[in-house]
Order: sequence, then C-alpha cells, then structure tokens
Amino acid sequence: MEKATENTMENKVEQLIDYIMKWCLWQFHSRAWDREKQNEGVLTKASQLLCEEPVELETPADKCYWVDAVILAKEFKATYPWLSAMDKADIKLLMQALKDRLDYLTITGSLNEELTDPKY
Amino acid sequence: MPYHKFKCSECIPEREKHAVIKGPGEDLTSCLPLGYKNTIPGTISERGCAYCGAKHVIGAPMKDVIHMSHGPVGCTYDTWQTKRYISDNDNFQLKYTYATDVKEKHIVFGAEKMLKQNIIEAFKAFPDIKRMSLYQTCATALIGDDINAIAQEVMEEMPDVDIFVCNSPGFAGPSQSGGHHKINLAWLDQKVGTFEPKITSKYVINYVGDYNIQGDTEVMVDYFKRMGIQVLSTFTGNGSYDDLRGMHLAHLNVLECARSAEYICNELKVRYDIPRLDIEGFGFKPLAESLMKVAMFFGLEKEAQAIIDEETARWKPELDWYAKRLQGKKVCLWPGGSKLWHWAHVIHEEMGLDVVSVYTKFGHQGDMEKGVARCQEGALAIDDPNELEGIEAMKTLKPDVIFTGVRPGEVAKKLRVQYLNAHAYHNGPYKGFEGWVRFARDIYNAVYSPIHQLSALDISKDEIAADAGFSTRQMISDVNIDKNEITPIEERPYTGDYDSVTKLRGKTYRGPAPEAEPLVGAV
Repeated sequence: MEKATENTMENKVEQLIDYIMKWCLWQFHSRAWDREKQNEGVLTKASQLLCEEPVELETPADKCYWVDAVILAKEFKATYPWLSAMDKADIKLLMQALKDRLDYLTITGSLNEELTDPKY
Repeated sequence: MPYHKFKCSECIPEREKHAVIKGPGEDLTSCLPLGYKNTIPGTISERGCAYCGAKHVIGAPMKDVIHMSHGPVGCTYDTWQTKRYISDNDNFQLKYTYATDVKEKHIVFGAEKMLKQNIIEAFKAFPDIKRMSLYQTCATALIGDDINAIAQEVMEEMPDVDIFVCNSPGFAGPSQSGGHHKINLAWLDQKVGTFEPKITSKYVINYVGDYNIQGDTEVMVDYFKRMGIQVLSTFTGNGSYDDLRGMHLAHLNVLECARSAEYICNELKVRYDIPRLDIEGFGFKPLAESLMKVAMFFGLEKEAQAIIDEETARWKPELDWYAKRLQGKKVCLWPGGSKLWHWAHVIHEEMGLDVVSVYTKFGHQGDMEKGVARCQEGALAIDDPNELEGIEAMKTLKPDVIFTGVRPGEVAKKLRVQYLNAHAYHNGPYKGFEGWVRFARDIYNAVYSPIHQLSALDISKDEIAADAGFSTRQMISDVNIDKNEITPIEERPYTGDYDSVTKLRGKTYRGPAPEAEPLVGAV
C-alpha cells in the first residue's frame, strides 16, 4: 500500500516536471544560485496559490516569481484534473516533492558545467 | 550517457561528447552534450568569432549609430547586412558599414592615428549621427592599439559625440557567444546610467534580447504599447543608443533571448534591483502566457487579455490551416542558439511537426538543457556540428525541412532537403500571432515546394512524362485532407499583408485604464 502511494506521488511529480520542462523557462537561469532562488520562489508561490493561501508580493522579485507561479498553477489545474481532487496537505507534500525533483534535475544533478561559474 | 558518435568524426574522438540522442527515460542528468568549448582542432566548425558575436549579433542592430570596426575590411564586410535586423530610421545601420581598413604596414607601425582620423571622418560624413560603437578585431588587439584612449580623445575634441568601445576581438572566446558576453557587460559598465530618457508611463520595461529580425521587436513592442507599457529601450533591435543608456530606469527587464542577453539582465538585477522576466514571442500559447505575465507584473491583465483574444481570433484559424497540412513532417531544428529551445516544443504542439534533431552552433549547455528538455524523444542533439556531421545527420534522419542559417542551408539544398532561414528568416517577422502564421506559411511553402519533384528528375537519363501536369503545393499537401470536412471560412492560408511591420510605425496608443491594479493571488 505504501509503495503504491509512493508510486502515485512519483508519477504525479513526473507529470508536473514534464509540464515545467516543456513549457517554462524560469527554472533554467544560468547559475546555480539563481536556479535555487527561482525554483524556491516560483514553486513556493505556486503551492500557496494552489492551496488558496495569501502570497507575499513585497519586492519586484516577488512579483516576478508570482506571475510565473500564477501561470503555472493555472496550467497545472487545467492539465491535471487530479490536482483539484487533492486536499491542501497533500498538495503541499506534492509541491515539496516537485521542488526536490526539480532541484535535482536543474541544480544538484545537472551536467551543466557553467552553473558554478562565480560570475555572470 | 547516450552519446552519439558520427562516422565522419571517428577520427576526432573528442566530438563524441558533443552529440546525444534523447532516449526513453533520459533526463538532463543523463542526457546533455558538452557545450561552449573551444573548437576541437580538425573539426571544421561553423561558428562565428567573438568579434562577430559582439558586432554583428548584438551591437549592430542599434539603429542611430556608426558601427566602426578597427581592423581589416574583411572583418567588417563579413559582419554586415546579412541578418535583416531592420529599423524604423530607414535602416541606417544596415545601409552603411565602416572599417579602418588596417593593412600590413599598420601592424608594423600601429593604427591608432588612422583610427582617430577614421572616426572623425565618419562623424563628418554623417553629421546627423552623433553616436558610435567602436569594435576591436584580432589584428588590432594583438598589436595593442588602445582604442579606449582614442575614443576618449575624440570625445574630448568633439563634445557632442559619444563613443562606445567594444573590446571583443575574434579570439576573445570559443565562439560568437563570447562576444555576446563581452558586449553585454561592456555596455553595462560604460553606458548604462549615463543618460536619463523621459519616463512617460507608470509601467516601464526594457525589452531585451530581440534584434528586430524583419520586425520582430516592433511587433512585440506594439503589444506592450497597446497595454500602456513604456518600452524604455530595446536591446538591441531597432534600439536607440541613448535609450539604451537609460536601461537602469526600467521597472522590469523582459528577456527574450537568454543566450545573447541574460548577462546584462542579471547584472541589472544585481546593480539596480531590476527583476528579470523570461518570455517567449513565438507560438500562440507561449506568447499569450508571456504577454499575460508582463501584464500581471503591472496589473494590466484586462489589457493583455483583450490583445490575446483579438489576435487569437484573427490568426488562429489560419495557423490551423497550415497545421493540418504539416502534421508529421520531420524537422531538423538547427539554429544558432535560442531558437532551438524557443521552437523545439511549440512547432510540434501547434503545427504538428516532429523535431528529429536539435543543434546549436554556439549555444551553451544551458541552451541544450532547454532544447533537450523540450524536444521529442529520439531526437539527436548536437553541439557545434561540423558540415560533415550535418550531412550525415540529414542522410540518416531524412528530414523534410531544416531550420538553420544560410551556410548549412545551402548545403541542405544540395542534398535536396528544403531549408528555412532560422536566423534572418525567409518572410518574417515570425514573432507575434501573425508572425507565427507567417512562419507556418514559410514552412508549408518549403515542405511542399514543387521544386522537389522537378529537382529529382535527371533529364539526361530519366523519362519525363509529357502528359503529366504540374502539381501545385496545395495539390500535393491536400492529398490527405478530408474534402467532406466542414471547414470554417476563417481557416484558410495566410491573408495578411506582404509587409506586416511598416504599418506599426507611427501608430498612436491609448494608455491603460487608470484603475488597473495587480490581482493578487488570482489563479
């Protein structure tokens, strides 16, 4: 039973990853520190939007994360109907797993040798 | 790692890590070619040099500027007038090119005096132009000519002129991309913050990384202006020198081509706290989402939605006409840098084309990450291919059309593969909703060109049927179209004008509704 749950979560994460990889650009900034900020900023806000929580818009950077998060959350809902059936606690878990997977693909497991260049 | 070894490059083993096949289950942690490396000795790279990247790609689209190369005339000639980055001032930057025409004697005795004389002559020959970009080349860099000092001398003697010095000789990087980097940072260091353009809106952006190929920039700027946004500068398509000196005053950097211009956006973020928003002007879905993202940043959603609705209603049916006829056609997507990822998924999703290969001549691994992530399974991804690898790939993959530059495009023609100019376009602009239909039209015209049948015939030995009529494109393309299907009248081949750009110039715009505010938390 636990295995099946894991698989379901993995499967859902992969579907969301597929969408991000195909349609988004925000995860591919040129340096590791920017990718960390982008993944954190956009996915945190997307998670808040999906859970109908307030979103912080204090800085211009916040607004940039937010606009990408709004588009992402809207497309996630439209593309994956199972998302609407999930409760908020599960959505939080899913979005955290999504972030972990995205961080791995674009930062920690990335083969891009320029990510750690200390300058732009 | 699913590396692909070309037979023609077996004698260059280092090339193996520059090509991968995106197999089932592969992701970016297992499938990514090397990129932005020094060209391997023995391979005939098709890249440009760092001077070319700085001048030809980034610098020269600036429209109100004398673009002076300090070096042999050949460097200038080869970076002049081949990319169709038009402008609304009668294409001044395309019509004229300038070089100091360095010869052997100058290598021995120095060319600084001649440079100063050339700069002054150029300003006197064009008295209405008061701005200059000065480009270093290999020869003059190697002899140590101090072009900064000469530029400074001239500016002191001619106080009404301003000169930007771009020190990016050809050897200053593995490819033209090294030049993109150098000129980005040089412009930021030397010129940004030295001029204050008039701010006329509450919503101010720099539109960065678009070079107005056949009017791309002007199409996108039209959308922004229709929303009530002031486009303070365009980096650098149709861009004005002094507007670009005022980039520091924008509220948002809207970035299109990350490969050529993310450097200046990243530094503007660090130095001036201006955020960077990556957008895409190609394809209905990416473009609509991009316009909406920029609008949301300023609270202009209604204005953006009105544009998206109007443009989609007008142009989507015509895109559909082409999409029906392009289904399953195989494409090698072989541009220079950013278009490999701008187009890799959306030509499949919106036109039905199958991308069988992506390549980049000068892109970095970051570009290939995006390209590999977006292209279809089974695609061959190649970094910095040589001509023989391109030929081998075309013979193996048998594409219906390739999207690439002029040089590899002409090679493709000899193999009877149609090519579309991905750099300078055939009949652009390709950005914007209408532009995307123009692109589909050009792909259709290439794929179904009747010349295919004729060029396959050898009149010295083939029997030529005298009773067979000539097949038009549509006779060929509509073989599989269901004649009984009811087609809306709007679904038809492109009905726009031959020139879709000139009419945008001089257009007047209304400002946004005063009550516009961000819709916080809306999904």
